[in-house]
Amino acid sequence: MKSSEVNKIFSKGIFSENPILVQVIGICSALAVTNRMINSLIMGIALSFVTAFSSFTVSVLKDKTPKHIRMMVQVLIISSYVIMVDIFLKAYMIDMSKALGPYVGLIITNCIIMGRAEGFAISNPPIPSFLDGLAAGLGYTMVLLLISAVREILGFGTLFGYALLPAGFTKWTLMVMPPSAFFILACIMWAANSFRTKKQLKGVEKK
Amino acid sequence: MKKPLLYPVIFMVIVTSAFIAVLATFNQVTAKTIKFNNENELRHKILYIFDVLPESNDPIEIETIFNNRIAEKKFGDILAYALMDNNEEIAYAIPVSGPGLWGSITGYLGLNKDFTRIIGIEFITQSETPGLGGRISEEDYKKQFRNIDITSTLNNNYIISRPGAGGNVDAISGATQTSAAVVKFINEDLTEFLKTVEVSN
Repeated sequence: MKSSEVNKIFSKGIFSENPILVQVIGICSALAVTNRMINSLIMGIALSFVTAFSSFTVSVLKDKTPKHIRMMVQVLIISSYVIMVDIFLKAYMIDMSKALGPYVGLIITNCIIMGRAEGFAISNPPIPSFLDGLAAGLGYTMVLLLISAVREILGFGTLFGYALLPAGFTKWTLMVMPPSAFFILACIMWAANSFRTKKQLKGVEKK
Repeated sequence: MKKPLLYPVIFMVIVTSAFIAVLATFNQVTAKTIKFNNENELRHKILYIFDVLPESNDPIEIETIFNNRIAEKKFGDILAYALMDNNEEIAYAIPVSGPGLWGSITGYLGLNKDFTRIIGIEFITQSETPGLGGRISEEDYKKQFRNIDITSTLNNNYIISRPGAGGNVDAISGATQTSAAVVKFINEDLTEFLKTVEVSN
């Protein structure tokens, strides 16, 4: 595989086709687990792992999979990896498993994974599929970290659990509750989209 | 085009079996660790109620202390834990539970030997709003339950959330519902428990 292809996959997953900012998929968990940065980080890693490996597996099995039952097979593959992540967290990262609660299991229903499996892995070789899944996962993680940074600083006065703001700081209760993620996500999308359209316009003008 | 019938079925069976095999193995390998983690969490919480936690959070040490000093004890139908000191029961942890704001809350309440004082509390499960009601699991809230005299309680209101005179546990600001729910079920369960003890004595 050429490095230019790898670059293209990653820049698509992280920037130009970022699953959350551009495709607006998988935002349910983005709203739910972004109250603290550490939760977002672990969730992002878990999702990247599941997306990368399920894309890989879907791609390996794609020639053998009958077309009309491919969704069933994909869900089977995805849920297997999610269960692995869940068991792993329960065994070795018990606090994290508690913090993320049901959202680990709900990675199964995250549209990003199915989206990458259907949109890329089903028609591409295993290694690029793996990277594509990883890139989408990283794009997701990045946005989650951005949202949770704002929420954690304003809601708890901390960053990754370390006190950042002085003790007298009045915590923004709203930031701890799920609705705040809507506002922040919208602002980030706004910024990202105006940045993207500006770039595209420039490209047109150059011609 | 006619779809083949047998192949998809066989394919699905093979793929499913393969994944089940992998998952079952993984589950088997980690089962012991997960069981130990869960038990350790309960042990940690019970020791916390009695305020006899070791300084290090080493699970093995917690297990040793737990095995040496904690015994199960039944009051009627209520399964509680007793803290032992030289074969003598010196304190108890009784189960309390009730509905919170989002889901049920369960926990243990520590009482001294003759049930005249509340000595601590710990929540086993709760799904309250993180940062608001969820703060019942934080030390600042729980430490208020250390050493509350319940001998001069009126109308079974052992815990009273009220600023100033007469109150003994401050509610969490911004989480009125959760705080009120906790106070309510503790008072109810404690009343029930003391009744049971009285009857059996």
